[in-house]
Amino acid sequence: MSAGENIRVALAGNPNSGKTTLFNALTGRLEHVGNWAGVTIEKKEGELKKSLNKTNKNITVVDLPGAYSMSPFTSEESITSDYVRNEKPDVIINIVDATNLSRSLFFTTQLLELEVSVVVALNKSDLTKKKKTRIDVKMLSELLGCPIVETVSTKSSDNGLEELVSTVISVKSNKQVAPFDSKGMNASERSSVEAYDKKRYEFVKEIVSKVEHRQISSNKQTRQDAADRILAHKWLGIPIFAAIMWMVFSISQVYLGPLLADILGGWIDAFYAWVEGLLGEGVSPVLSAILLDGIIGGVGAVVGFLPLIMVLFFLLALLEDCGYMARVAVVMDRFFKKVGLSGKSIIPMIIGTGCGVPGIMATRTIKNDRQRRTTAMLTPFMPCGAKLPIIALFAGVFFDDAAWVGTAMYFMAIGIIIVGALLIQRITGDKHTRSFFIMELPEYRFPSIKRATISMFSRAKAFIIKAGTIILLSNAIVQIMQTFDWKFQVVAEGAESTSILASIASPFAILLIPLGFGAWQLAAASITGFIAKENVVGTLAVVYGITNFIDTEEFVLMSDGVGVAGALGLTSVAALAYLMFNLFTPPCFAAIGAMNSEMEDRKWLWGGIAFQFSMGYVVAFITYHIGTLTTAGFVGTGFIPGLIVVAAMIGYVAYLVKRGNEKAERKLAHSV
Amino acid sequence: MESVIRNRHITRELNRREGADAPLMNLTQAKVNTEYVIKEIRTNDKELKDFLFTLGCYEGETVTVISVLADNYIISVKDARYSIDKDLTNVIII
Repeated sequence: MSAGENIRVALAGNPNSGKTTLFNALTGRLEHVGNWAGVTIEKKEGELKKSLNKTNKNITVVDLPGAYSMSPFTSEESITSDYVRNEKPDVIINIVDATNLSRSLFFTTQLLELEVSVVVALNKSDLTKKKKTRIDVKMLSELLGCPIVETVSTKSSDNGLEELVSTVISVKSNKQVAPFDSKGMNASERSSVEAYDKKRYEFVKEIVSKVEHRQISSNKQTRQDAADRILAHKWLGIPIFAAIMWMVFSISQVYLGPLLADILGGWIDAFYAWVEGLLGEGVSPVLSAILLDGIIGGVGAVVGFLPLIMVLFFLLALLEDCGYMARVAVVMDRFFKKVGLSGKSIIPMIIGTGCGVPGIMATRTIKNDRQRRTTAMLTPFMPCGAKLPIIALFAGVFFDDAAWVGTAMYFMAIGIIIVGALLIQRITGDKHTRSFFIMELPEYRFPSIKRATISMFSRAKAFIIKAGTIILLSNAIVQIMQTFDWKFQVVAEGAESTSILASIASPFAILLIPLGFGAWQLAAASITGFIAKENVVGTLAVVYGITNFIDTEEFVLMSDGVGVAGALGLTSVAALAYLMFNLFTPPCFAAIGAMNSEMEDRKWLWGGIAFQFSMGYVVAFITYHIGTLTTAGFVGTGFIPGLIVVAAMIGYVAYLVKRGNEKAERKLAHSV
Repeated sequence: MESVIRNRHITRELNRREGADAPLMNLTQAKVNTEYVIKEIRTNDKELKDFLFTLGCYEGETVTVISVLADNYIISVKDARYSIDKDLTNVIII
């Protein structure tokens, strides 16, 4: 073997067998992991960590999405089989879940036929011991004809990884003989494939009966099953989920988050003062305003929320890691199915709580076009990481950091998704299509603090990078547009409404009057939100000249004696309406781009965007007017024109639903 | 001697018929915690059938209902737990 040789190692295995965890351990990368099936959607590549690579070769590791089978006709997980077949990696590490040999080895025997060297990583080997299951690894290795290394990819030491790597290097050029003979199979004929697959299962069963010694049969009731009956209970499931989310929000926004945010806020203030001092008196006020209020103030306002978001991401990562999310999917399925969504629609939405873009991309695994497009259209309603600063800001300023605001926004999003799906199902006239739901329930485990910390920091890093690039640029531009009028004259104090920003945003502001927030500043913030949702907070900071939203004293008392709430000039009800408007209008351009590529249809894309706009508008309208009516006893300003707009939107949707129903009846008549 | 053989034959024949006539149960009628052998996956949806197959859920294999949660059934197939909905439970004939 020559120096500098390249070795490509592919990781393949069943969903939730721990491929990405192993990938991260091998490469030192920080890809997102979760204790449920289907977290990885696309293949990812990384170089083997220096500390594990004792050779001078370049070893590239490729993480593939989980697959149960490579049989023709199961196109379900085609990325994996296409990669292995077409790109021919040098070695495949087949990650086998040691707790479920009888299913996993089916895929293993298929991989062994590919004429690529295979090393089996018998993962989760710590769990088998706990279950009093003994596996004769030596015999298994002999029966399969390939080397096997026991691994525990979740542990940071004594995890079998070094042995795995050295086995991979040593095995590189010796291809194994496939233990199961499928030469007679006719891959183009369904019945032949089915017959051989059955034989293959028989073959696997025989191996398992030889090497596995279980003391406790896997179909016996366990404490985990008892936990499922409560956590995924018909009626208890949702209140439990709500209580957990409420706890997550109260820790991140009321207790721990603000504590950390105060410290960070102090640093930002100090930095602001330091730069201000550095600039001195001689610098032009315009330049210093762009630098101080635009860049440091705007970006600082967004970054100020970082601690809150980090705590939230940490807690969400713990939830994902312990296996609870799969149970949430089970609880939600009941509602999702009634509105014609696929059981798989839940996964994009859970991913969407981090960022909408990968969430929308996760819809790719949904086969049915309507279900996939509907899910791609509705996933952005989930409050993503970028929307959290907006929630945190409004919860802090108007609702005294109440944890219910965030919780309510999540459930509001779920409600909107269900209503939206129902409408789309009716509009498309597809209400007689049935969908099936099947979800593997991973075992509960104690969540790992380390993994949650890693996940938190990698998301925080992405957040900071975004703040330092897109958001910095946006805020600088907003500041410039606010400082100058169309003649490029500096706007005089008191004449802010003549600025470029004000004149662009004002026409939009008129449309927002019926929603309770017709100020051009608020309209401008919503518009910049389409570039990145964090911009809503950043722009508000810039246009109102607020540097630090987190500082509790500043909430109450700003320089001119009014609180932030006063500066924004909103009632609590209007603030809530504005918050919802920003959460439930179309997402940022990046997410719209993702919608475009997953929907693959212009009509759906524009329909989707129009739908999202209408939804945000209607929700904000209803919130503002019903809220004002109950708190003040009269409807808010602009009720009548707003009502006309909302009625027109609802009327049009109703017309589409009626047309869709007719289509459905015709379809049904045809099929009978 | 001959009658014994005949009898056996008759019993076997009867058993066979009984098997054919016995009302087929689907998994929704299964008792919890009882192992059943899958007789058939009765669906026209090829993709679904193939997917269930890859999980090891096909005729001749055993399945156990662990819990019933409203419209979802928690089942044990091979060594894993799955949550499946009622529609899906209906197509698994035991």
